[in-house]
Amino acid sequence: MPKRELTIAMVGAGGDGIVTMGDVLSQAAARDGLNVLKTEAYGPQIRGGESSCVVRLSGDPIYESGDGADVLVVFNWADFSRFKGECTPAKNAVVLSDDADPVARTPEDLGLDADAVWIKLPFGKLSTDSGAKGSKNLVGLGVLTALFGLPVDTLRRAVVSRFGRKKAAVGEGALKAFEAGFLLGQTLPPMPERRLGFTPGPAKLIMSGNEATAIGALHAGCRYFAGYPITPSTEILMFLDEWLPKMGGTLVQTEDELSAIGAVLGASFAGEKAMTATSGPGLSLMTEMLGLASMAELPCVIVNVQRGGPSTGLPTKSEQSDLFQAIYGGHGDMPRVVLACSDVEDSFHTTVDAFNIAEEYQIPVIVLSDQLVAGRRETFDPASLVHEVKERRLPSAEELTDYRRYRETSDGVSPMARPGVQGGIYQTNGLEHDEEGSPGSGFHLHEKMNAKRYRKLRPIRDAYTFHRRYGPEDADLGIVCWGSSKGVVREAVRRANDRGEKVAAFVPQMIYPFPKKEFEAFQKSVKRLLVVELSYAAQFYRYLRTFLDLPEERTHVYKRSGGKNLTVAEVDAEIVALLAADRVPEKVSA
Amino acid sequence: MSETAALPEFKPAEFKPADYKTDLKPVWCAGCGDFGVLTGLYRALTELQVKPWETVVVSGIGCSSRLPGYVDTFGVNSLHGRALPLAAGVKVARPDLKVIAVGGDGDGLAIGGNHFMHAARRNLDVTYLIMDNEIYGLTKGQAAPTTPAGDKTKSTHYGNPEPSVDPCELAISFGATWVGRAFSGDLKGTVELMVKALSHKGFAFLNVMSPCVTWRGDDQFKTLKAKQRQLPENHDASSRAAALVYTREPEFVTTGVLYDVSEPTLLDRLATVKVNALAGKPQSTVADIIRSFQPSF
Repeated sequence: MPKRELTIAMVGAGGDGIVTMGDVLSQAAARDGLNVLKTEAYGPQIRGGESSCVVRLSGDPIYESGDGADVLVVFNWADFSRFKGECTPAKNAVVLSDDADPVARTPEDLGLDADAVWIKLPFGKLSTDSGAKGSKNLVGLGVLTALFGLPVDTLRRAVVSRFGRKKAAVGEGALKAFEAGFLLGQTLPPMPERRLGFTPGPAKLIMSGNEATAIGALHAGCRYFAGYPITPSTEILMFLDEWLPKMGGTLVQTEDELSAIGAVLGASFAGEKAMTATSGPGLSLMTEMLGLASMAELPCVIVNVQRGGPSTGLPTKSEQSDLFQAIYGGHGDMPRVVLACSDVEDSFHTTVDAFNIAEEYQIPVIVLSDQLVAGRRETFDPASLVHEVKERRLPSAEELTDYRRYRETSDGVSPMARPGVQGGIYQTNGLEHDEEGSPGSGFHLHEKMNAKRYRKLRPIRDAYTFHRRYGPEDADLGIVCWGSSKGVVREAVRRANDRGEKVAAFVPQMIYPFPKKEFEAFQKSVKRLLVVELSYAAQFYRYLRTFLDLPEERTHVYKRSGGKNLTVAEVDAEIVALLAADRVPEKVSA
Repeated sequence: MSETAALPEFKPAEFKPADYKTDLKPVWCAGCGDFGVLTGLYRALTELQVKPWETVVVSGIGCSSRLPGYVDTFGVNSLHGRALPLAAGVKVARPDLKVIAVGGDGDGLAIGGNHFMHAARRNLDVTYLIMDNEIYGLTKGQAAPTTPAGDKTKSTHYGNPEPSVDPCELAISFGATWVGRAFSGDLKGTVELMVKALSHKGFAFLNVMSPCVTWRGDDQFKTLKAKQRQLPENHDASSRAAALVYTREPEFVTTGVLYDVSEPTLLDRLATVKVNALAGKPQSTVADIIRSFQPSF
């Protein structure tokens, strides 16, 4: 009986081509309509160096990277220890290692049990013998293809497509290495119960969260981007640098994040849809001008790809600890909107929504992504990338006869004139101002204009109260989480439900303003609540507590630092423990 | 984006200085040098017959940064030091607009100094006016980067321990392609220089010495007037070395066009980027991009 899904982890030294191996495998799988989720991890080197890659393949939907790899390919054991957190083999895994590797490891080292299979293979020698020296990765791919029933013709085409683009001979050489591995794989004892069974379907899209975010921005009509490189958001800048000029848009790499957000606000004032992308420390710098955006009611989108903090922290690892900064960061009473993207496909839709809200309501919108969602690659159906695009409210001809930029309206949204329009002239201000934009510092004016700016939040919440809900309607345990934790929680809920346990999950996609009504309905429908997040200080739990009554006797918090992605196993363990006993909830220290 | 706004009226093609004036009364102290700059700007805009609705004046924070509120064009009074980033965003997004950035010496040279360097280096297509009073006026009299060493101010009670900078010297070394110095007490000269700055293609920087009667005393105006001298007729404004001769002059305030060269501007270079990106092909669509993520081998 073949398996419905297969997780393959690969580790190698610099030059072993791990990243390419993962790419070719994912591309081939996506080509044949499989669901793919690929994550990568690297050593600290600027260029080259050891790397690891985990590719999960399935005919069914995949929400996260999986608990343990079914197959572990190691070209170099010396480098393996660096990626223990990312590349854990399942207890019964098949381990393929290079027989020439002088470093010895035992099944006990890897936590393998008696069902595990360890095969040492001459990856390096076969690569050299095939004439394509340094192609261990392709030999490895060939072995994997034969052993685990991967689509061999598609993989052949993927190899040729990847290597033969510039020189056909290079493609042929690469194919020889692949075929050598494939032949070797066919000579090994077959493992029919470990093969992947699937029916090929139409090709899927495969991209990273950062790419989906950037495409979402372009779809929404963003034609201006200003930004400053910062890991792990830089891919957005680089992607848009390539594509914006081809679409008549412009990208400027600014001298710092202050300038990036300043330029975005300038472009927005000038009438264009504009965006910047950054990570925690960059958002801190931008927060100064977030105040201006809020005060002058300038639409703008700021994508913040979270990493471990504070300070430089863990720049290449994921964490959910910029929540307070996004929601509360700033001086004065400063309305803004905070959205969170929870997977790659969602990054597209969240970014389009961010533009729609920013433009329609003339308010800054922060999109919280994180390294896990931004950096991983996932497949999805091309037809899903459809999303309505909204535009900013411009003054009518009649409104231009007596134009007031900050005219009082019932929803707080005033028509915004584009420079170049006669009759639309106004001077805007970071100072408190009246309906015309003229500065004033009286209490009554300040109170009135604060109310106008805050009034926009309610219609935004009503129009965009998007959230996801998984599991049964009347659950014994309800999990609430946000952003990238969704995948793991969703999978944990699915497993619990499969066991017959009544567990549900609520995942808000708008974080601020919060879909309070919907959440309260969820809270009422469950007996106990579990908050799950990657923040040592439990920022999400504390945020919820500011406006929700979360009784201690039935609220539990599972939180920890980032640096290692959340796993289904840890959430599952919490579920089991909470359902098993009337456990006293853990106190979150002050 | 659809333009729902029709033109309500067509103003006569000829603009008078009053057409550039808002109803707002300046908050400046009586005798402030910035009045001269504002009047000069009305006249310069009139001379160039700039369409108010196609013009954006952007400022930072400070006494002088209040200026956009008094000019009846589109305007943004932004944050301290951030006029140039905003101006860059406006101009790059909308090359059809005339963009003028204004502010004080503290705004542009201290907190906004990094932006000044990079706007000049990029040869951003913006006119930048600094109203230089050698002091922080709005916060009531603290030392600025332009306050001479040894001067006593509210933050240098025992004498300024730091040497000052010459904004024109900085602008030239940063890569500005037009650099001038004016004195707001010399209205005619200021208007002439503003017209030239506004007509320049690329980053034009005009440092206007603009006395602060309140925190630098009545004498500042007299001192500046006494120090003012015109650039010699034979000054070679295309020479960086010649221009730098008229910077860091404690004895003089030399007014005129110090430096004026023609270089590709940021907008020119961004246009080249687009041509290179398209490589003769039609513009891409989002569908093209999405397709590139679908394996098709």
